[in-house]
Amino acid sequence: MEMPLIPVLAGMETEGVALDPNALVEFSAQLEKEITVVEAAVYEAAGMKFNISSPKQLGEVFFDILKIDPKAKKTKTGQYATGEDILSKLADKHPAVQMVLEYRGLVKLKNTYVDTLPSMIKPRTGRIHTSYQQAVAATGRLSSNNPNLQNIPIRTERGKEVRKAFVARNANYILVSADYSQIELRIIAEFSKDESMLNAFRHGIDIHTSTASKVYNVPLDQVTSEMRRNAKMVNFGIIYGISAFGLSQRLNIPRKEAATIIENYFREFPTIKSYMDGSIESARKNGYVETILGRKRYLRDINSANAVVRGFAERNAINAPIQGSAADMIKVAMINIHQTLVDLNLKSKMILQVHDELVFDVAIEELEIIKPIIREKMVNAIQMKVPIEVEIGAGKNWLEAH
Amino acid sequence: MSESPKKLFLLDGMALIYRAYFAFSKSPRINSKGLNTSAMFGFTNTLLEILNKEKPTHIAVAFDTVAPTARHTEFEAYKAHRDAIPEDLAISIPWVFEIIEGFNIPVLTMDGYEADDIIGTLAKEAERQGFTTYMMTPDKDFGQLVSEHIFMYKPSSFGSGAEILGIPEILKKFEIANVSQVIDILGLWGDAADNIPGIPGVGEKTAKQLIADYGSVENIIANADKLKGKLADKVKEHANLALLSKKLATIITDVPIEFNEEKLRLEPVDKEKLSAVFGELEFRALAKKVLNEEITTETTITESASPKQATLFGDASAVANDNDESNEEAPAGNLQTIDTIPHQYHLADTVEKRKSLIAQLENVKSFCFDTETTNIDANNAELVGLSFAITPHEAWYIPVPANYDEARELVHEFKAVFENKNIGKTGQNIKYDMMMLKWYDVAVQGPLFDTMLAHYLVEPDMRHNMNLLAEVYLNYEPVKIESLIGEKKSEQISMRDVDTSIIKDYAAEDADITLQLQHKLEPELEKHQLKNYSMKWRCL
Repeated sequence: MEMPLIPVLAGMETEGVALDPNALVEFSAQLEKEITVVEAAVYEAAGMKFNISSPKQLGEVFFDILKIDPKAKKTKTGQYATGEDILSKLADKHPAVQMVLEYRGLVKLKNTYVDTLPSMIKPRTGRIHTSYQQAVAATGRLSSNNPNLQNIPIRTERGKEVRKAFVARNANYILVSADYSQIELRIIAEFSKDESMLNAFRHGIDIHTSTASKVYNVPLDQVTSEMRRNAKMVNFGIIYGISAFGLSQRLNIPRKEAATIIENYFREFPTIKSYMDGSIESARKNGYVETILGRKRYLRDINSANAVVRGFAERNAINAPIQGSAADMIKVAMINIHQTLVDLNLKSKMILQVHDELVFDVAIEELEIIKPIIREKMVNAIQMKVPIEVEIGAGKNWLEAH
Repeated sequence: MSESPKKLFLLDGMALIYRAYFAFSKSPRINSKGLNTSAMFGFTNTLLEILNKEKPTHIAVAFDTVAPTARHTEFEAYKAHRDAIPEDLAISIPWVFEIIEGFNIPVLTMDGYEADDIIGTLAKEAERQGFTTYMMTPDKDFGQLVSEHIFMYKPSSFGSGAEILGIPEILKKFEIANVSQVIDILGLWGDAADNIPGIPGVGEKTAKQLIADYGSVENIIANADKLKGKLADKVKEHANLALLSKKLATIITDVPIEFNEEKLRLEPVDKEKLSAVFGELEFRALAKKVLNEEITTETTITESASPKQATLFGDASAVANDNDESNEEAPAGNLQTIDTIPHQYHLADTVEKRKSLIAQLENVKSFCFDTETTNIDANNAELVGLSFAITPHEAWYIPVPANYDEARELVHEFKAVFENKNIGKTGQNIKYDMMMLKWYDVAVQGPLFDTMLAHYLVEPDMRHNMNLLAEVYLNYEPVKIESLIGEKKSEQISMRDVDTSIIKDYAAEDADITLQLQHKLEPELEKHQLKNYSMKWRCL
């Protein structure tokens, strides 16, 4: 599978993706304005003007003058430490702190993507050619750089704007995005054969509501949004070996409550527990774990007497087959879709892969031909008992398509 | 503070090894022999950071020994909770000793005493002899030893630079009036790292408040009646535990160890020893750095006023800095090279010679090829040459003209073999070469074998560059690209401007080595039952 994927990726990289520099110019101007506004707000709140981008000046203003934290730490160079982790903890101590964090977020977005993407356009094609690395992530996932698509922010509204700049090649084309829905959870359901999870997926019941209903022991229609939110975090956290402490931090709830949730989860989903234990057990015995197609991940510390490194290997023993199988699946889908596009002599091209999503630059007249092909190849990439779902959207830019 | 010309660094060896090891725990550095070298690498970087940035005149590394100390005898639980040492870390320790020895730095140990005590004793003695001392450790107990001339030096880590703590910083940190009260704070609060109990239920805040009010553990106990309800009970009930805890936290400063100024003096590194150790660990870039750095290290001793070479490690990630390690440098050891192994590398620079090569390529099941270009970005690069290999130790290099049309014409002589679906193609990161050829309207077809990906399937956690694979699987060190285009990034010339006869050997060797690697890696894939995995979908 890795070898046949090579020409597919080579094709995607050569093809590239069109960028609408005007969208970014506008967005850059907008960010610039917002930065100025936040900047002014920081000056106002701090009661003075200074260079916010200078950690030295910022530290002096915050800690010498405003005395936001009497225990502020200095680095060796004699400056105050003003890293994000430090400022985040002080966010409620002074209004200027939150503003500085926002200021930094805006500046970073502007510098790393909005102002940089246009410079990545290759003169030969006028497009962006992200480069895929097939041999970097030990789990089997692809990674990309120039630009790194994985890092384009998608959670914030402003981050989403970046996706707007990725557009179809011309007016006769449209971007299509196809995204596996909850693929890792489906793979867990498949591997663990957990009936209640499988059942939820088979009947199209929202998996997080379903989990919440079991963990809190209430009927589906009585699951509150808070219960669902907590269950969602458990669903995703479990595969990364989340602890009660981690969960309590993420959900901002007491540790005892988090521990109870996890306890309830494993009581309600005993098959998940035994699947996880089985993964670790087999890793101990074999020294490695495998994905659905046999990709191996060696875990040298799985039998370590040291709890910390052993714990790390154990989390990998659970996580690697799940993440790796999701990677196997999308890779097979990519190979099959690519081949079909070639066989049918279609003009449309697969151009991007990020996380569980594929993006296509589709000739409008081929849109209705290609959608079922994408769906079929993605859904059937690897035969599973659990139903696989793919969400497909189309639009003139990546944000609209997604 | 006045800087003494005599600057002593005392390193807490084990603490630094642990720290280095765990700094890489998310992606440990494993060398080709499967040895986890995280601890050695991180420790060496930390050491170099000190030598380069701080320029000590005297230095030593202290370690605990396995012999029990007075603390263990007095308090059974002392450090008893500590988890087993990770196996990879245990294996690392003798290596770190070798490295320290290679740097010509004394290792200090004393049965019955901990590294803390050795450091404490020497720091105090050094102070009497006019030294400024930096105790390099992340351990907060050391606060008690700080004086006008003795500092704690917390090594830099990912997020923040190194931190130097003197009297004011320690007083502020513990909210105390005198550094000697650090042990009072720890006596009450305890120290989880060492399993020092303190008074159960008394945390950081209460401990600081109590010391602020009463000054010492003894005085608190004497005034227990004045405390409020529960707290009074706790103090009374656990008075002995508090006194014991204070004692356990006290670093001994009269260890019977000799302070020998001459032994502690920083010496030039033992080049031979270090290069042997680095060779075995496969620290190529580090080996190069240390050799280049040596002059700097020597000038340090004489306190030269001349500006020193720029520091090699930023504050941010002194331990984790391995970016340069990909820049493989000449390894020590007895690897074969182009000069020691018989080979036939041909230059095919005429139509006739190319025709004869193509005639051979047409009749094989698979061949290996490589491209030489002007840029590592295939979408921005021009072809400079092509190389081919069919059987080990023989390869061809074909120079490609700079003019695009001429180049395309030449490349198209090979179009039929490249696009022949029945002939397999092998390459190292072959995607790059395929993309290059695409720009010349050649669509490579046929079963592919990528040695980089093959190794990725066999050893997903390791690095997969060709030079490393050549070393591991072929005991061979290929010609370095830097020997063609130059060492320094800023001064590198274009591949286009390198003499053809020089490129010939380099390029032909690449194709030859990649082919030889295929022959080694194919059976590995079989052995790992991964061949289906990589080939299964080939015929779709």
